[in-house]
Amino acid sequence: MNYIVAADTDIGNVKKTNQDSYYAAVYSTKMGKMAFAALCDGMGGLAKGEVASATVIAAFKNWAIERLPGLSETELADSVIRSDWTNIVTEYNEKIKVYGKSQGINLGTTITAALFTESRYYILNVGDTRCYELSSELKILTRDQSVVAREVELGIITEEQAKVDPRRSVLLQCIGALDNVYPEMFFGETKNNAVYMLCSDGFHHEISREELFSGLEPGVMLNAEQMTANIRNLIEIDKQRHERDNITVVAIRTF
Amino acid sequence: MLQIGSVIDGKYKILSKVGQGGMSVVYMAINEKANKTWAVKEVRKDGVLDFEAVKQGLVAETDILKKLNHPNLPSIIDVIDTDDSFIIIMDYIEGNSLNKALEEYGAQPQEYVIEWAKQLCDVLGYLHTRERPIIYRDMKPANIMLKPDGNVTLIDFGTAREFKEKNLADTTCLGTVGYAAPEQFGGMGQTDARTDIYCLGATMYHLVTGCSPSEPPYEIKPIRQVNPTLSSGLERIIEKCTQRNPEDRYQSAAELMYALDHYEEIDDLYRKKQKTKLNVFITVCVLYVVFAVLGVTFNAVASTKASDTYASKLEQANGNTQILEEAINIPDQGGRKEAYLKLIESYDFDNVFTDDEFNQIDTLISKNKNALIKQDKVGYSQICFELGCLYWFSYKDLTEMGGPKKAIAWFKRALENSDENFDNRGTCEAYISIGEFYRDVRSNVDKGKDKGMYKPLFENISALIGNVAMNSNESERVRLEVLDLARSVIHQYTTNLKRDGVEESALRTMLSDIDFCLSGIPDTTEKISELKSRIEKLIPDTEKAVEVAYNTYSGGSK
Repeated sequence: MNYIVAADTDIGNVKKTNQDSYYAAVYSTKMGKMAFAALCDGMGGLAKGEVASATVIAAFKNWAIERLPGLSETELADSVIRSDWTNIVTEYNEKIKVYGKSQGINLGTTITAALFTESRYYILNVGDTRCYELSSELKILTRDQSVVAREVELGIITEEQAKVDPRRSVLLQCIGALDNVYPEMFFGETKNNAVYMLCSDGFHHEISREELFSGLEPGVMLNAEQMTANIRNLIEIDKQRHERDNITVVAIRTF
Repeated sequence: MLQIGSVIDGKYKILSKVGQGGMSVVYMAINEKANKTWAVKEVRKDGVLDFEAVKQGLVAETDILKKLNHPNLPSIIDVIDTDDSFIIIMDYIEGNSLNKALEEYGAQPQEYVIEWAKQLCDVLGYLHTRERPIIYRDMKPANIMLKPDGNVTLIDFGTAREFKEKNLADTTCLGTVGYAAPEQFGGMGQTDARTDIYCLGATMYHLVTGCSPSEPPYEIKPIRQVNPTLSSGLERIIEKCTQRNPEDRYQSAAELMYALDHYEEIDDLYRKKQKTKLNVFITVCVLYVVFAVLGVTFNAVASTKASDTYASKLEQANGNTQILEEAINIPDQGGRKEAYLKLIESYDFDNVFTDDEFNQIDTLISKNKNALIKQDKVGYSQICFELGCLYWFSYKDLTEMGGPKKAIAWFKRALENSDENFDNRGTCEAYISIGEFYRDVRSNVDKGKDKGMYKPLFENISALIGNVAMNSNESERVRLEVLDLARSVIHQYTTNLKRDGVEESALRTMLSDIDFCLSGIPDTTEKISELKSRIEKLIPDTEKAVEVAYNTYSGGSK
């Protein structure tokens, strides 16, 4: 399996800082090529809000560089990835919490991290950043850990109501703010000729599923330049629609 | 930052840092002259984006807070404005926050939680009834201090109201906004006293179950699902406090306080009793008004005692039909099913239901029928069903199947008054059909119109075997009677069944079912053994009758 990676981020229309952070890379290992991507949406109104997202991205990047090659010597078991990543999340939850206390501020971050191998994908999610799969159709691989997503799931409100609910930016889980974090993991088969897309919530509020699919489906994502242009195009549309949040998109094309 | 050892306002010597909040630090200080410890809360101006707003809020609030005086609140003594911070001097509360208690020991004993909740409720009531009501908005274990004497104090009052409003323009995490009531997220109306009721409910939930409502599964379940030994009364209170819609919660701290004072009384058992008491009370009240109009006064207190008398009579009756009749005849108690069911039970004690017995209960039921239906229609249906069964199995007169024929009317009443949850519907319908068969068969045979009656009879008997004879919850006698009836129907009506198109195999299956059922019925009394062996002995004859009717009898012994 081969991968093309493209990504872009934008501070958006309103905010003074961009608190999103991301990382994406392709590695050659003994098990073949692998793509790894991680995206964090930091929070905390004060100046140091983006510290949380950048710190967690750095930790995952470090894992991909230091630990992944060794793991790829043998088989990559779901349980190994799960425990590695959960440990990182737990450790940084503590670190960010302690830092926040020492500074007298509340800060935190979401994360969506994804590893793609020849046969399998491994995804970890905390909060409302997402991972999509675009092949013949559009599929969300992650599940938002947010108050409104939970209420939609329970049938208390509809998806339409969720979009205007005053609680739409309240997360159930994030790294750095709670006593315990409960990340969710998703595993599955990596598809050939597909696009895997990670994005922050600033991207999926205003862009419809149809626009998302037609703008980023595998047929229009043939090389890095084209992919970057397509992403930029959608980010601009998003901003024209008065999205207030930071916007970040990472796309990985398999072939 | 205040320096350890520095003296504030010439009086308060800073001893140590004891806590840190989002925008403030709390120190322990001592007034050396008075030898008394104080808490000093420092709100740093550089830690807050818009300090002017905070300060305005603080000044306004602290003026009010200084006037507050409640045993479960720390007193604020002084507020000092310095160059780079704002300092609040208040009572130093010894002890730990309940949050710490949860961390260390997990769920807290129910009695404690209820006692703390009462104290907190008292504080909330006090705050809500100030001239300018104060809504606390941030009730959570971390803000409640447990003092060494076992009492609690609500802390964190020095923060401006503006900063307690949840600011949700930015992304936030549920856990950091505490137990926010739905309306605290905006868009659902103002926060008011009921917001505090919600948060106190969530706090009680966390304390008593050890489960935080802001951790998975993010919900406030009925507490007995977490720990079945907890009180159902407390469960109800917490459920009511934490309703999404403020209208559905307790409307004031006083209302909640009343519930907490009486939580044991809303426990299931007590509640059941109280409910009937309440019904009686309502009836009495209605009567009272009617009587008042008629110019007759009525001592309501005495009448509410009626239900107590009823219960004690029921208990002392112990099968005495006379006492049970007295219970039913207590004013306003005739609409309760219990005494009737006990009567039926006593009648069946000797397995013989007599005309005198019937006359007694029939008179009572006719007299109270309206009350019964009005008060407990399903209960009335139950009485009718039991009476039907009593007739069916225990009433004997000189006619063939006299009991079942008389039972029809009662089973019909049971059906008429049942609701959709009626478990015995199928059984009831089968009894009615069979009863009607015996009622009509003789005259139909005389008129030559009996063809076609036997197949439905056979099907209803099958239903009874399935519903009653195979049901180990039924009494042995009833099960055996059904089996006896089934066997005798096969024996007596073999040729008619054949003519109606019932297959031989169906009859054989039923016979073997009867045999199988018999072997599963334990010999509890001599009478049961007798009845059982009588049926068993007759089965070979019945088999022979089937063979003869269907021409499969070979004549020899098999």
